[in-house]
Amino acid sequence: MALLSRKGTLFLLFLFSIFLLSASASNGSGEEEEEFWEELLLKPLPDRKVLSHFHFQNEAPLSDSFARHHHLFPKSIAQLVKKFHIKAMELSFTQGRWNYERWGGFDPISSHNAKPPGVELWAVFDVPPHQVDASWKDLTHALSGLFCASINFLESSTTYSAPKWTFQSALGSLRYGTLPREAVCTENLTPWLKLLPCRDKAGLSALMDRPSIYKSFYHSQRLHLTQAKTGANPKNSRVVLEQTLTVVLQPNILTGGTNYVSEAKMQPSWSLSSIFGRKINGRCVLAKSSNVYLQVERGLVTQLENLQSSTATFAANGTNLDDFGRNVGFELSVNPDRVLKEVEKSSSILYEYPIKVHKDSEQFDLGITWKHPVIWSTPHVPLYASRFLMGSGNERGAIAICMKSTESTQELVAANYVDQRCNFQVNVLQIVPWYIKVYYHTLQLFVDEKPQILTDFVERMHVSPSEDKVSPGLMELVLKLPCEVKSAVLNIEFDKGFLHIDEYPPDANQGFDIPSAIISFPDFNAGLQFSDNSLSKTPMLSKLQERSPVISYTEVLLVPLTTPDFSMPYNVITITCTVFALYFGSLLNALRRRVGEEERRLNDKGGKKDALLNRVLGKLSSKFRGRSSVSSQPSSSSSSSLISPKLILRVLLVAGIAVAWQYYS
Amino acid sequence: MELDPKTMRTTKPGIKPVILTLIVPFSFILGFPLLWKSVEIYRSPLPFCGIEAFSSQLDSKPLHFRCQFQAMFLGFNFTASNDVAEAIINKMSLLNPNSSQCGNCGAYEVSVVIDSGTSCMRTENSKAQCPFKCGEEVAFFGGKLSDENVDELLRGCLGNVDGGGNVYSVVVVNGGDKEAEVRAVVGKYRHAWILGGVLEEKALSRVAEIFAKVFMNGRSEGDSIRAKFMPVGADGRIVLSFSLLNAEPRDWIYDWNFREIDEILLQPVIQSLQPIANITVESQVLYHTQKSSFSYWDEVLGSHISSTKDLPFFVDSNEWHLDTSVAAGGRSKVLQLLVYIPSAKECPLQLELPNGDLSNTNGFISRVIHLAFKFSLLNMWGGGVVWNPQSCIKDLESKDPPRHMISTQVFLSLMNCHCLVTRQLNEVSVFHRDSHNVWELDVLSQNHVCLNLYSCAATLGSLSRLVMISLEAAKFAQSNASAGIYDASAVSSRQARALAEDSFFHPSVMSISYYSYWHSVSIYAPYFLLVIKPVILPVLSEWKRYKQENMKFVAWKAKAKVT
Repeated sequence: MALLSRKGTLFLLFLFSIFLLSASASNGSGEEEEEFWEELLLKPLPDRKVLSHFHFQNEAPLSDSFARHHHLFPKSIAQLVKKFHIKAMELSFTQGRWNYERWGGFDPISSHNAKPPGVELWAVFDVPPHQVDASWKDLTHALSGLFCASINFLESSTTYSAPKWTFQSALGSLRYGTLPREAVCTENLTPWLKLLPCRDKAGLSALMDRPSIYKSFYHSQRLHLTQAKTGANPKNSRVVLEQTLTVVLQPNILTGGTNYVSEAKMQPSWSLSSIFGRKINGRCVLAKSSNVYLQVERGLVTQLENLQSSTATFAANGTNLDDFGRNVGFELSVNPDRVLKEVEKSSSILYEYPIKVHKDSEQFDLGITWKHPVIWSTPHVPLYASRFLMGSGNERGAIAICMKSTESTQELVAANYVDQRCNFQVNVLQIVPWYIKVYYHTLQLFVDEKPQILTDFVERMHVSPSEDKVSPGLMELVLKLPCEVKSAVLNIEFDKGFLHIDEYPPDANQGFDIPSAIISFPDFNAGLQFSDNSLSKTPMLSKLQERSPVISYTEVLLVPLTTPDFSMPYNVITITCTVFALYFGSLLNALRRRVGEEERRLNDKGGKKDALLNRVLGKLSSKFRGRSSVSSQPSSSSSSSLISPKLILRVLLVAGIAVAWQYYS
Repeated sequence: MELDPKTMRTTKPGIKPVILTLIVPFSFILGFPLLWKSVEIYRSPLPFCGIEAFSSQLDSKPLHFRCQFQAMFLGFNFTASNDVAEAIINKMSLLNPNSSQCGNCGAYEVSVVIDSGTSCMRTENSKAQCPFKCGEEVAFFGGKLSDENVDELLRGCLGNVDGGGNVYSVVVVNGGDKEAEVRAVVGKYRHAWILGGVLEEKALSRVAEIFAKVFMNGRSEGDSIRAKFMPVGADGRIVLSFSLLNAEPRDWIYDWNFREIDEILLQPVIQSLQPIANITVESQVLYHTQKSSFSYWDEVLGSHISSTKDLPFFVDSNEWHLDTSVAAGGRSKVLQLLVYIPSAKECPLQLELPNGDLSNTNGFISRVIHLAFKFSLLNMWGGGVVWNPQSCIKDLESKDPPRHMISTQVFLSLMNCHCLVTRQLNEVSVFHRDSHNVWELDVLSQNHVCLNLYSCAATLGSLSRLVMISLEAAKFAQSNASAGIYDASAVSSRQARALAEDSFFHPSVMSISYYSYWHSVSIYAPYFLLVIKPVILPVLSEWKRYKQENMKFVAWKAKAKVT
């Protein structure tokens, strides 16, 4: 029995011997179970792209055995929650920039899933205030290991801060940090997929073809943890883990369309297999529900309705968009099980497709074929924000955050026309690293291109100035802007600091990133309202209907800083050594010199051949000095002086070679 | 007198240039200690002597536990109790020649009580009552009661359950009838009994055998301590990670209520092993975890066969996320224990042993897996078992795959397989009890104290750094061991080891490994090498010249003398 080797340990013996004698246990459990949902939302975007948004939700009751015994919920995340006392947390990995102008900013998807490039992490801890920083540091390390990313760089107190108003109010136990330069790739997606019970083996996640995802225009994988209370008893609360992957893809144009309206104006027809190269092979059997949604936006619905009314034949048939997409604009390859319509008049439509259990013969492949060119626009953020740098040189500069009104603000004006004094709130959060020394007193506000007094518009302000090598600077503003505002510009000046030579990252000449500013609009609600409230709500639907403020991020800025000559220490060592060597060498040479003896030797060797070289050199040197050649009689004065011209010549020669080398190399 | 200027000189050569050139390197040498001091790495003062003394003491004088043995002979007629004790000690030393090994009973004493029914004798060191209180009861009921009841009865009489006395006893009851079957049973606590018609000489050797083989050695034959060692992490923790692997959840889904299993089955064991290790239990259910080795269909056996030779490929670490617990720090030991549910395609799945037989447990334990993972630095891995569903036919009709619960009983039977195997391997010959025994725990904790102390000394010694506390804990463990308090010594030896390991990872120690002596040499060497040439060379050449000139002077002097 080599298999069960003789070295079986006493420990195992004890462990298992107990099983023999122990009483058998009764079956059955009355406790709440862990649940898992998987969903996919597809949405055509106005600029011929497709948004696909995967949403996985995992819930576990916060019972005694939480973080120890799990069935569906990932144990590693549960242990993080338990060990670091996390109340809520969000981690996102993003590559690319969300295009707020084209892809929209006033809907739940963009408001929740448009993230700044790189890594963003915030967490709320359920610990006493003095332990929050320690928990944060440990958490960053744990996440770093879990997701194969350098999240541990957020450990340093110079990289994270504690904003007050932008995120949910957490009373000082929230920490926020970003790593704008973190590159995101498959090594981050694989551990993220590991947290799903079916991973990418079955269900919707099997669609995630790596090349398709990573050649997309924007992709953001997100992990969001919250604790949801289901009753008055805190014991009843559940931990909710949301995992989303948002990808904006350019579908390959399916050729062979019969319609010969100019191809350029036509939206590209696509299907799941054409954008991902795969079809859905059945749902993840562990999921409570598995749905695919297709969302048709407000703007598109309005356009299609206009189109429909203008086309007499369709109008006569009385077809509308509810009829499974057999409309004038596009055709869907699969009939939806359910059509959800928003309550408002011009509203978006959601087609729902539940995924069935795997059957070898059936594969789900949703496709959309456009029949008519349609141009529409997505709902925009109330104020479209962009940020840029001003000034030149390596000394100082200024950051400007420019917010321009869009049609959403104009709608607001129209809605509140009766009320003359209509205002709306804008929260701005700007975090700057310590080496960007911001002068907060220089903060200026221009409303409609006119300088304004800050106190007229700023309702509240929270500033924590940066401390060199200790903490970043943080500025939070709560602005009250009039509804009819056209543009608002915030302007603040800064000095560029100096870093220690050790603190420069590799490739320091690329510049230093200033994390995205966060602009949020608490008065605007991004949620949608669907009419079918009576029906069961899946996590995706409740997420879409959730009342949440509109949030947008600005660009990441790249500030060039003065960089030292990194080879300087070596140069210093080399030059010191050279000077020392020269000094000691010449000093000792001079001390040891015996004038009379050398002359005697020179005379002895005068007739010999090997003195030829010396003579030639002597001639040369005398020519340089502009004297006549007196090589046969070396003047006693020149050789007796401590600094012989020969020596000077040599030094000069060496120095000349060095200069030439330095100059031409 | 002729003077050849090439070979002679009339004046004594000057010493000044030599001195001048010497002054420069000399000043360098003077300044060197100052420089050396300035680039020195700061090292905190550590009790090197203490560490040295501790490890040399462990080497020269292996740690021994004080063990007390007590033999009770009921119904025997030995003449002198002291002779009996001597005879037992002699036999024990013959049976257990390795008693000088660390972790064994070094200084053991044997006390003897002889109760012949009419008279009672005992050795001086014996603390037992004489005559033996319930001797008659034992003699009377010995053959009639079940082993467990006898065990409890003896426990009541001898009263050495936990802590305190720690006296190992063997009660020999002479059944009178010479033909009666002789039964030797080792109880759950620190005692054993022999019943039946035993001759005096036979009784002595049996008693010595039980003392030496069972109580001192924990019944195992292996010489090395490692063989009896429990895989405790360096910080004294073990995480038992149970994973239920559903190879193909589209066929069937199995789940378990591990919380219940944990509370009912595992907690008692964990409690009793508390002094040795801090054990935590975790569980998870994984899906879509196909094994990565191939199996073939055997017509005769009617099952799929997977050879244990392929075990290295059985565990697919790429897809099986048995990943270590976040709660367990870097140095905690994680033991993975797996239950594998095969898919409908490969059901039923049997494991074939290298000799061609089927494994009757359908499982494997750590050492085999250990071989599979020999490239990773795990010395203990855990084990696994394949559990075949009762019916291997997949229900094609139903929409959703059937969901089953693995009940506690099934889990129990699964684990029993493991258990039985380990039992067989541990040579259950005469003695047979199925529970965790106090004396076994004793041996385990003795071995642990020993190994912990050794690894503590090795870590400290190799580092020669840090922490008096660790030493104190180790000393405390030693003193406890010699006092016979096993639990406390196990606790403090664990502490000592954990502290020693902690000190290894202490930042102040890390600087030494990062900024080594040679590192500093390589940084400063280029600096000095460049300067050293113009400083040393003149000295050499001046010295050479001085010698030459001096020779000339000597030559001239000699010539002058001659002339």
